[in-house]
Amino acid sequence: MQLEIHSVLPSYFDESKKKLSEIWGKELLFTKGEFIKIVAPSGSGKTSFIHFLYGMRKDYSGAISFNGKNIAGYTPQDFADCRKNNMSIIFQDMRLFPKQTVFENIEIKRQLHPFHPAEKISEMAERLGIGEKLRSKCETCSYGEQQRVSIIRSLMQPFDFLLMDEPFSHLDDNNAQKAMELILEESRRREAAIIFANLERVDFFPFTRLLHL
Amino acid sequence: MSVSFKIIKPLLQSGSGRLSRWFSFIGMGIGVLLLLCSIQMFINIRQLLKGNTARKNGFDYIAVTKKVTNESMGQTEKNLFTGFDIADLRSKSFVEDVAPLVATDFKLDLSGGTILPFSTDLFLESIRPDFLDTLPPDFEWHEGKNEIPIIVSSDFLEVFNVFAPAYGYSQISRETASGIPVTITCYGAGGIKEDFTAKIVAFTDRINSTLAPLSFIEWANLKFGGQQATHYSRLYIKTKDANDPALLNFLDQKGFEVNKEKTRFGRVKQIMQAVISGLGLFGLVVVILAFLLLSFYLRLVIAKSKENLQLLLALGYAPKWLGQRIVGQMVPVYIFIILLALLTAQMLQYFFHHTVMNDQPGLSSIVSINVIGVAWAVFFLSLFANYRLLKKMLYDLH
Repeated sequence: MQLEIHSVLPSYFDESKKKLSEIWGKELLFTKGEFIKIVAPSGSGKTSFIHFLYGMRKDYSGAISFNGKNIAGYTPQDFADCRKNNMSIIFQDMRLFPKQTVFENIEIKRQLHPFHPAEKISEMAERLGIGEKLRSKCETCSYGEQQRVSIIRSLMQPFDFLLMDEPFSHLDDNNAQKAMELILEESRRREAAIIFANLERVDFFPFTRLLHL
Repeated sequence: MSVSFKIIKPLLQSGSGRLSRWFSFIGMGIGVLLLLCSIQMFINIRQLLKGNTARKNGFDYIAVTKKVTNESMGQTEKNLFTGFDIADLRSKSFVEDVAPLVATDFKLDLSGGTILPFSTDLFLESIRPDFLDTLPPDFEWHEGKNEIPIIVSSDFLEVFNVFAPAYGYSQISRETASGIPVTITCYGAGGIKEDFTAKIVAFTDRINSTLAPLSFIEWANLKFGGQQATHYSRLYIKTKDANDPALLNFLDQKGFEVNKEKTRFGRVKQIMQAVISGLGLFGLVVVILAFLLLSFYLRLVIAKSKENLQLLLALGYAPKWLGQRIVGQMVPVYIFIILLALLTAQMLQYFFHHTVMNDQPGLSSIVSINVIGVAWAVFFLSLFANYRLLKKMLYDLH
């Protein structure tokens, strides 16, 4: 399982962006088991890059291949299969169903391809300090709580790559560390790669490769 | 483990679209009912009109003549059919076969002897044996044979029995008439004259004439008339349906006259079919409008739930699965609509057969299998159309 990046550049960036970046316009290969840290200041295209990898946006030049197949040729069904079995994501903006409960939000993802039994939802929620919120609607939760729901949701499925876009932006250091521990534990269990994009370095992420966007 | 739609369903918002959904369901029910009733009435009319003509092996036989008008009076050739007319008729898809009634082209008379003390001028005709409804084995003649077997229209015997008492003749039964030998005298050019003994071998309900074997007519026309007949005053048409509007229109257009009794229902059928076709068409339009309304409803649901659906797709839900599940929600409603429409059509058919038609044989109290087939075709078509529409919209959201 590997992700190949061939000279990718967002269509709204000019060529000069390639000079300073270690990602834009470069040839990169991400494999299972790697922990990749991407440090990116605001406006450098961090979220765009994560969305390109996840197939949610196509406004770039170059190519991204998953297991040797260019994702530009993926059908909606191919993306559905990939997102169900191989690739998981923690969105910067959480993207939860506001009218659904915390439990329902996580279960919607879990039932698609259960890696864990339903009981694991409560266990993870307790561990991250949102056990009492399971029956609350997401719209009533704070950003910090919503971010933890989004993290637990991403860990419910099997995956080879976990994409994280500023996953701790609303968490204090203590909660962020707890969440990081859970993420590392789950990723190691799957021997999966983590691609972690953030504004600055996070000390408690044991990266194997550091890239500046 | 199968993925449950139950947890997904609340994410699809219908909101104010519920009203348009119910309107489209009601419209669909009415449209399907109209469609089914029209098809059933179409079938009823076809079945009702089947039994009104003399059928043999599933075919109708009708006689046609050329209309004698004031202009064509006296111009015999204009009032007769030629080989061209026969070929023209035969080429039509609604005509199975055509045979002319070959008539005698000379003078002859018939006398009854002592049992039937009357004599009358007569004509004999003949037609290909396969056009006869009754063909006795002794209906044949060869040169040198004095006895001619003849087939007489049942109507002639009926007419004789009506006027016989007034002339002091005794009325006679079919059996007696068959046993009475009569004398036919043929008169030819140059004063030649020959007597034959004729014997009624059968009665026909189909052909209004006195028929002799074709071999006799051809021989006698040559001997007494001096030539073979090339023009015919009457033709018999063999057709699958004497009430076929295409056949009747063609005959009208050609100015051919046809037995009105046998095709009377055809005119009614034409009008009825037009009315019912109109009704069926209206039903179809209502069904299409209901489909459109339903597609607006689906578009509304997708538009209102756009963000939720986009997130579901982003999480890994397949558009195909979502499309199937959303359409799957409509299956019970569609089944209910179709079954209700079928049940109503069945009740109306029972009422029509039992009360309006007084249980007429040939009609059924149960709706036709074709109607049931159309009902289910509408069901599957609507599911398929909805699924295609949804799948396309979900692909566009991706």
